[in-house]
Amino acid sequence: MNLQRYSIGTWVSGVGHTGLILWLIVGWGMNNTPMDFEVTQVSVVSGAEYEAMVAATSPNPVAEPIGEMVTPDVPVDTPAPVVEEVAPVTPAPTPAPEAPVEDTPPPPPPARPEPVAPPADAVVEPTPPEQPAGAPDMPVSDRPVERPADRVASTPTPPPPPEADVSPQAQTAVVEDAPTETTDPVIEEQTPTAPEETATRIVSPDEKPSSAPTSTPRPPSRPSALVPPTPAPTQTPEPDTQTAQTPAPAETPAPSTDTEAANIAAALAAASGAAVNEGPPTSGPPLTGGEEDGFRRAVSSCWVVDNGAQWASVTVTVGFSMTQEGKVSGDVELLNFTGGDQATARAAFEAARRAILRCQSSGYPLPADKYEHWKDVELTFDPSTMRLR
Amino acid sequence: MFKKLMALLLVVFLGAPVVAEPLRLTITDGVIEPLPYAIPTFQAEIAGSEDMAANITRVIAEDLSGTGLFRQIPSSAFISQHIFDTTPAYPDWRAINTQALITGAVAVQGGQVVVKFRLYDVFTGAEMGDGQQLVAGVDGWRRLAHKVADQVYSRITGESGYFDSRVIYVAESGPKDNRRKVISIMDYDGQNAQSLTQGNSLVLAPRFSPTGDRVLYTSYESGSPRIYMLNVSSAVAQPITTAPGNMAFSPRFSRDGQRVIYSLETGGNTDIWMTDIATGQHSRLTNAPSIETGPSLSPDGSQIVFESDRSGTQQLYIMPVTGGEPRRISFGEGRYGTPVWSPRGDLVAFTKQNAGRFHIGVMRTDGSEERLLSSASGGFLDEGPTWAPNGRVIMFFREALGAGGGPSLYSVDISGRNLRQVPSNGFASDPSWGPLLR
Repeated sequence: MNLQRYSIGTWVSGVGHTGLILWLIVGWGMNNTPMDFEVTQVSVVSGAEYEAMVAATSPNPVAEPIGEMVTPDVPVDTPAPVVEEVAPVTPAPTPAPEAPVEDTPPPPPPARPEPVAPPADAVVEPTPPEQPAGAPDMPVSDRPVERPADRVASTPTPPPPPEADVSPQAQTAVVEDAPTETTDPVIEEQTPTAPEETATRIVSPDEKPSSAPTSTPRPPSRPSALVPPTPAPTQTPEPDTQTAQTPAPAETPAPSTDTEAANIAAALAAASGAAVNEGPPTSGPPLTGGEEDGFRRAVSSCWVVDNGAQWASVTVTVGFSMTQEGKVSGDVELLNFTGGDQATARAAFEAARRAILRCQSSGYPLPADKYEHWKDVELTFDPSTMRLR
Repeated sequence: MFKKLMALLLVVFLGAPVVAEPLRLTITDGVIEPLPYAIPTFQAEIAGSEDMAANITRVIAEDLSGTGLFRQIPSSAFISQHIFDTTPAYPDWRAINTQALITGAVAVQGGQVVVKFRLYDVFTGAEMGDGQQLVAGVDGWRRLAHKVADQVYSRITGESGYFDSRVIYVAESGPKDNRRKVISIMDYDGQNAQSLTQGNSLVLAPRFSPTGDRVLYTSYESGSPRIYMLNVSSAVAQPITTAPGNMAFSPRFSRDGQRVIYSLETGGNTDIWMTDIATGQHSRLTNAPSIETGPSLSPDGSQIVFESDRSGTQQLYIMPVTGGEPRRISFGEGRYGTPVWSPRGDLVAFTKQNAGRFHIGVMRTDGSEERLLSSASGGFLDEGPTWAPNGRVIMFFREALGAGGGPSLYSVDISGRNLRQVPSNGFASDPSWGPLLR
């Protein structure tokens, strides 16, 4: 055995491990006194005793008859009013499916589902049970009024002097208007607590019309169609506060008296305002592949291709707009075509248009909450794969 | 300056309206099915016109449904009755899945028939084209119906129709070993058949002129095959002076109708020749020791397609009409013959014989995309394709072999669908589809 072939490290390791093993065996310096144990006495309980104990602690499961089944009466009563409430709403949508396209020649009769005035009552009715008192304010203004006194009456109006230091003109204007709405001293007492809880961003009541409705995400459900009429009147009645507030940010560069700079500033303000008012065209995520496929399949199922026809070699792109119900709004237009002359392109377009209109009967299966993504549609009909070969 | 530039850029960026991107999708798969249409019986505007109105309505429906591209919705399914010249109740027609609605009125008065019609696209809720009024003699009522059907077909498909057209063919009768063959003419649907020759001699392969007023055919009247030209209206035939040779056959008119292109056998060799009818000038188009026959001109008259066995088997070739090297276009198995250039110019129809089966097929002019539209075997043979004037349908004849068998005319869509027999009295062969009548 050649011991020299092992390295120093191997020797050190071997010696160390040997020492450790010896130390564990011999137990130098180790204390082997027994540890203390906590002893608990346990008694064995029989099954009968256990049942007796359980019976004493748990409620007596006596099956008392609950009484006659009155429930039949209750549901009979409740649905009745529900149906009555729904009834006035349903008539509005029902005319819609009949009206869409067929009545293009006789334009006068088709009245779109815009019975704004009547539905307003019908729609408000279902919601009021929750806040009957606040309901009357709803039509007047939107967001600020929905959360009534807490925030509106909160900080801006009467209390702190610092705001008066910053912009005395605006303050005076607001103070003059505000008192008419909320002058109660009680509200002032609530101000310290309420504002921080109700809103993460401090919004003065004066701002309410300027930024409220333009870019609000469209709600997925139908009622949104009935809301639009209200915002317009709310903005007009308060021209003073509007003009006082909105220019404020834009006027910051204005102090320079140069007219060009002022013009530029005005253009910037107008441009930014225009961009904001356009609203984000793409709210929410885009259509998924499955949703697009569903739409594609729906149209395909009505696209009758005559693959022996000359137009079977023509690819047409058509454009149209859609309503939130997934139906075509207005005309389907031929945007462009490739692979044929005007006559064959016309035939290809007619076939595409027939497909789009024919399969829209109950509305295309598109997600309402992504309406912004499919409000306008461009479909390219390419029959090349179906051509005779 | 820099400040202004930056400000301007900002204005451009911010001021540019945010345009919502439309949803863009491509659709490549559709369905192949006949388009459902409704045609309420045309109204009789004058008492006594009811039968005529019903007949015209029936023929229009037969024309459209006969294409295989349209499907008539039975009147029993109608929800509402339409009154001519009133706005249709679109929802009612939509409810029964009508896509096209044809309405009309008929009046028979003073030996004339007046037909008015309108075509509606039900789902767009609009009229397709303007209403039309057609007038003809009472005897021409079928042509009136065909013309209405042509208009409907054209407005929906974007292509010209072919209903108001005629077919010239060889009507055959008698026992097989002693067949009497007569040049005859009929409407495209087999109606109004008339004989144009007496049947004293064997006649073959009649071919319409581009204008439909003359017919070329091969006759054995003189003992050997010669080419004759027949005036359709007078039924008078006269021989064409061809180049010197033993046999002249397989004639066709040039696209301008002024020349005749044909096969001529001289000294045991068959080549393709062209003769100017007016001047009698001849020109030889092919000069090869093989058999070249069955020439057909392209729509623009610049090329011919013909069959030749120069490769050892019967194949199709294309060459310029002014001469040049022929280009072979058929490379499939079997033998190809009787080529006919499509009026559209994109396809060549042919007869193919392979493995004991006969087919009518089409291929592109470069020989690609060959498709067989019919198949006959077990005692039948298909032969002699001819194109409808719009290049959409092919007519040919299918002959049943055997002692009692004979030829019949068939038509098939170029998609290969809608194969149907053309009604005729007795046997019929060698059809040639004429142009759309005016």
